[in-house]
Parts: sequence; structure tokens; C-alpha cells
Amino acid sequence: MVVYTIEGCPFCEKAKLFLKEKGVRFKEIPAPFGSSEWKQMKEKTGSSSWPQILIGDSTVGGYLDLVSMEATGELYERLNIEGRMLDTPLYDVIILGAGPAGLSAAIYTIRKVLKTLIISKDLGGQVTWTSDVENYLGFSHVNASDLVARFEDHVKAFGVEKIIGVEVESVDLAGKIKKVYTDDGRSFLGKTLIVATGGRHRPMNVFGERELVGRGVSYCSTCDAPLYEGSAVAVIGGGNSAMEAVLDLMSLASRIFVVSTTPLTADPIYQGKVKKSPKVEFFLEYEPSKVIGDTVVEGLEIRSLKTGEVCTLEVEGIFVEIGIMPNSSIFIDTLATNSTGEILVDSECRTGVAGVFACGDVTTVRYKQVVVAVGEGAKAALSAYNYLINQR
Amino acid sequence: MSSKVRIFTTPGCGYCSQAKQFLTEKGVEFEAFDVSSDKDAMQEMRKMTGGARSVPVIAVCDKVLIGFDRTELENALKCLE
Repeated sequence: MVVYTIEGCPFCEKAKLFLKEKGVRFKEIPAPFGSSEWKQMKEKTGSSSWPQILIGDSTVGGYLDLVSMEATGELYERLNIEGRMLDTPLYDVIILGAGPAGLSAAIYTIRKVLKTLIISKDLGGQVTWTSDVENYLGFSHVNASDLVARFEDHVKAFGVEKIIGVEVESVDLAGKIKKVYTDDGRSFLGKTLIVATGGRHRPMNVFGERELVGRGVSYCSTCDAPLYEGSAVAVIGGGNSAMEAVLDLMSLASRIFVVSTTPLTADPIYQGKVKKSPKVEFFLEYEPSKVIGDTVVEGLEIRSLKTGEVCTLEVEGIFVEIGIMPNSSIFIDTLATNSTGEILVDSECRTGVAGVFACGDVTTVRYKQVVVAVGEGAKAALSAYNYLINQR
Repeated sequence: MSSKVRIFTTPGCGYCSQAKQFLTEKGVEFEAFDVSSDKDAMQEMRKMTGGARSVPVIAVCDKVLIGFDRTELENALKCLE
């Protein structure tokens, strides 16, 4: 192996250090501008910039090409160094997230015969929080769990490799090969990355909330509403999700207080249903200020945004439905996001970092719907495919 | 004799279905209770968790887990080995 260098070139130093660290022997040839060595380098590689790395007569390229080649194991293969082959396989696509966007992306990548890996904490994403889906084309009414099971079966039928139950701790997107590190100490390599990490419930961020999650504070009315039969409850929020929570609770709870910082924004069809019930009382333009209770929820303190008046609602349950926060924290330093943390994408799901695509609720795409996420997943996958084709 | 693994669920709870599927895939025998229709099970669930009102609740050996976390459940299941 030969490395053509010039004095004062930081990438030359990086390349030399990298090879030393990896235990690869090489010959350094200083090639100052205009020298015979430089002319030789230019003739062999077609490039006049430093460093230029060669294995025999075949060119590797510069420092970043060297790093990519090492990551894929190709470097050792070309040097005929046995036992140094890659111990982790290189995927064409690594998809982070297994909600509708991620699973849809997987169907598209696998059908393009791309080596695909899905890594996700759980399966189904936010769909698992709802009971029924009635606006997904082809299904006039489907149980959300059944829909997720169908998504999963579809992906299984194509034999996509997946690792479920681990959390991605960090990613390295700098080189051509993207690295993903998970909380079980493993790392994975991909030529492209599709971020489909979705969203999570936005908390109220008030005193007592966190301590009493599962003990009266709930973010899933579909799951937990049946546990509040005969109880007074509060629903926080004024949008469609909040009204759906009220409807889930309507036949069970004794009273339902709706607390919203704004006038109701839910669709008229929901508002109509909710307003009909004598059980429901509205506290509009009020904000929650404190969850009361030691071991279980005993009440909720709220404050009027107009007058500052504070009152306490005696409730055993608080259902929080005030929107979604994107799961983008590990990308904040590397990908561009908007003020709410959503990853900025263009119309082809590109993030601005080569080889990194994003789709679904973690992105700035409008309308957080299952059908939209599925479409975005397909787009991200096809964009990743086009990117890989152009790399070849 | 009651099963070593018991899971308390509600019908609309996606995480409950996933937890049951996870146990089935692992070949773990379990007993499931729908607390929306089984009031005794609801009382028992609340008693063993000190008042929790969230599903799923999964009882494994002497451990009680609130919610479904694959890693947490996998660790808890080690008592069955």
C-alpha cells in the first residue's frame, strides 16, 4: 500500500494515523506539487490532490474513501489480510423505527433487493395507542392491533431482518458508511440510513406528572379507559385525539373534565358527539398546573389563562392528549430540525446529509396520519435506492 | 395452581397484545386477564401494584412490571429458567 502525501496536509496525517491504528503497513511517498512523485501520483490515480492511496496499481482514493473501505471490510480483502474481515455485516439500508413509515420503507427496500435491517424499540409505533383505524384505504374499520399485525406479517413475508426491543444510543453519519450504536453495546453499518423513529406523547411538564404515570396519569385512553369505570377524570387537550379520549371514557367515567389551553380545535364531528354528553364539562383556556396525589392521582390543579384563577378538579385519572414530540434527540447535532425538533426533509425525504433519509412523524411532513407515514416510508426507500444506484 | 406468568390487559391495548405475542414467541406459558370485564382481576392488579391504573401489568415470579418493555420483561423471565 502506498500513500502519496504533502507536508501540512491534515487528511494525509489522518490517513497515516488511521492505517497505523488499524495495523496496516504502508509506504509513504512525499509528493510536493510539481515533483516527479506528484506527476507519478497524478498519472496513476487521475487526481492531483493529497493524500492519494493505492493498493498495488489500483486506487483507493482519499482519506474518506479509505475509512469507508475499511468499514466495509473491502480494504482487508484487497490487501489479502485474512481474519480481519468484517465481523459485522454491511447493510444497504438500516431503518430506524418499526411504525408504519419504517415498515413501509422496509417493504420497498427489500423488493429492490437491498440488504435491509430494521432496528426499533417497539413495533407498530403510535398506531398501537389507538383502538380502531377507519381512514386507511382498503379498511373501512380495522382494529389497530390487527393492522399492526398485518404490517408485521407483510414485512415477515419478505424476510426482513429486524432487531426489536433495543434503543439506538447514537449514530455516526459523517462518512459514506453510517454507523448505528445500540444500547445493548452492538454497532451496525449501513450504506444508507432511513430515520423513521416517529413520535411520542407530549407531556404536560407539570409538578407530579412524571411520578404518577401509570398511577392515574395516562397517555393511552384506549388502553386505560376501562380502568376508570365510575371515576371522575380529566382529559387534557382540545384536538381530535383529546376528543377521542373523551369518547373512549364516555360510557365508563362518572364525569369528564376537558382542559384545554385553547378553544376546541377538534373536528366538528367529534365536538358534536362530546358536547352532547351531560357528563362532560369544559375548562377552555385553562392550563394544568399541578398533579395532586402521593401514590395515586387524587386531583388536578388548573389555572385560567384569562383571569389567573386557580381551581382543583377532583379526579382519579388524567388523560394527556396534547400532541406528539418527534423522537429526534439523537439527530439534533447532525441533522437539520425545526423549532419543535422535527427533521427537515425535502419532497424526496432527503435530510441534507448524503445517504440519510427520514420519513413519517419524526419529520416536518404535514399531517401525522398512518396513510401519510406509509407513503413517506415508500418515498424514503425509493430515494435510498436511487442514491445507492448512483453510488455504484 | 396459578401460572408463574400472569398478564392483566384490556381489549383495546396494543401493548398488551404485543406483550402476549412476545410471551408466546418465547414459548412462555401465561394466564391473561381482561380487567375491563373481570373485576376481581382488576382488584388484584391494583393491589399488587399499589394502585396502578395502567395496562399491561405483568406478574413474573415475584416481580410486577407495569407496561411492556421487552428488555425488562426478558430480564424478569430469567427466574423461570
